[in-house]
Formats: sequence, structure tokens, C-alpha cells
Amino acid sequence: MGKWGFVWLAYGAADIALLGYLVMLWRRIGAAAEERTALEARPRRGAP
Amino acid sequence: MRRPALAVRLLGGAAVLVLAIGLALGLAVAPPDAVQGEAQRIMYLHVPAILTAYLAFFVVFCFSLLYLWKRELRLDAVAAASAEVGVLFTGISLATGAIWGKPTWGVWWTWDARLTLTAILFAIYAGYLMLRAFAEDPRAGARYGAVLAILGFLDIPLNHFAVQWWRTLHQPSTLLRPGGPSIDPTMLTALLVNLAGLILVYGYFLAERVRLERLRHRILDLRLERGRRG
Repeated sequence: MGKWGFVWLAYGAADIALLGYLVMLWRRIGAAAEERTALEARPRRGAP
Repeated sequence: MRRPALAVRLLGGAAVLVLAIGLALGLAVAPPDAVQGEAQRIMYLHVPAILTAYLAFFVVFCFSLLYLWKRELRLDAVAAASAEVGVLFTGISLATGAIWGKPTWGVWWTWDARLTLTAILFAIYAGYLMLRAFAEDPRAGARYGAVLAILGFLDIPLNHFAVQWWRTLHQPSTLLRPGGPSIDPTMLTALLVNLAGLILVYGYFLAERVRLERLRHRILDLRLERGRRG
């Protein structure tokens, strides 16, 4: 691998890590928001 | 899912813009290094990544102290969020350092003082995240985590000064060195723009991660409330 190959490998790995983390974070926020909405909508037991 | 606040979205947009400029400067405008050639361009990612990680762990340190003082979970949320982002940036710095090491030193890894202390830094804060994840009571997890984060922060000055105190394979600091930076102004500009870009990325990730932590707190409150009434 030439020296540019190492440069692209480093930048590619960092891009994948940053984008991967961002997508994972958005999915976790989405799942948590859905759970909160479901809990808020659930009728309380014993409530009229 | 509700969208993040306008300020957070603007922060994300600014991060993408500044990083794009930084990448162009680092990969196309800055000259290759006289000794290392093109491989030195990894510096524009490697150095800003570890400096951003230092900033993230400094935020963890400050908010952990504040949490131990005030005992408010909203302060702990910032510490937990910043630790996770800091671990990500430390991981990027370790990975890009290994990739830079191969063409420069001939090895991906060596047990040099700087590299070893960076690996320890990564392990300390990865351990912090695990400790919090396994704690059944969020307040106990926050308290133990805060103590670990404060003690773990001691690794950062050790790590930074390792290249001055010990004979290491790793080169001396590029930016934060006595007498100021000594590199070519074009290289310095590229380095500083990439640092600004990664700090903006950190800010965006932190804001989003804090939003997640607040959602989790709300879910926990709702579960407790439903449990009490059930």
C-alpha cells in the first residue's frame, strides 16, 4: 500500500466511525422517544 | 422522533462545513511533509481527534465534580454524554495513529509511553461507560462514575507530557508545545481548521447524546410513576 493508501485508510476509518456513531445515536434517540410516547399514552391502572 | 433544536441543527451544519474545508486544506492544499511525505496528512485527523477527546474528558471531569457537589442528574447526563463521545474520539485517534505508524515507524503499534497512556485513557473511560451501564440504580452509577472520571482525568496530563518526560518513539507535541507550534503556516491552518471542525462535531454529538440521556431519565420517571400507581 502506498502512502496515499494509508491516508485514505485513516480518513475512511474515521468517517465510518463518526457516521456510524451518528446513525446509532439517532436510532437510540428514536427508540427512546417512541418508548416515552408509549409510556405517556398508556392508561394508568386504577385511573378512571 | 422530535427534531433537535434549531441551534443544534445549525451546529451540525457548521460542523459539516468546517470539516469539509479542513479536509480540503489537509488533503489538497497543505504541502506534503519533507520527511514523511503524504503519510503526514493523517496528522490533520489524528491530532485534532485526541485534542477533542481531551476536551470531552475535561467536560466529564468538570460535570462529575459538579454532580458530586449538587447531586443533580442533569449534570451527570452531560458527564455521561461527553464520556461516550470522548471514547469515540480517543478510538479514532488510536486507530489513525496506528495507520500513521505503519508507514512512518514500520509498525502498527509499539508500547511507547504516549501510545500506552492513550490506550489506558481509552480503557478508563470505556470502563466508566461499562460501570454506568451495569449499575442498577442510576444515582449509584452516577456517583461511582463521577469518582472514576475524576481519577481517570489524571491520565491526560501524564499522556500529554509523556513525550517530554520519557524517551518515546512518538514525536513531540505539534500544537501545545513550549514556544508555540513550529510547523509550516499552511499546515498549521489546516490543523486548526480540522480541530475547529472536530470540536463542532463534538458539540453536536454532545447535544444529541444529552437529549438521549434526558429521554432516558423521563422514561425512568414514567416507569416509576406507573409502578407506584399500578
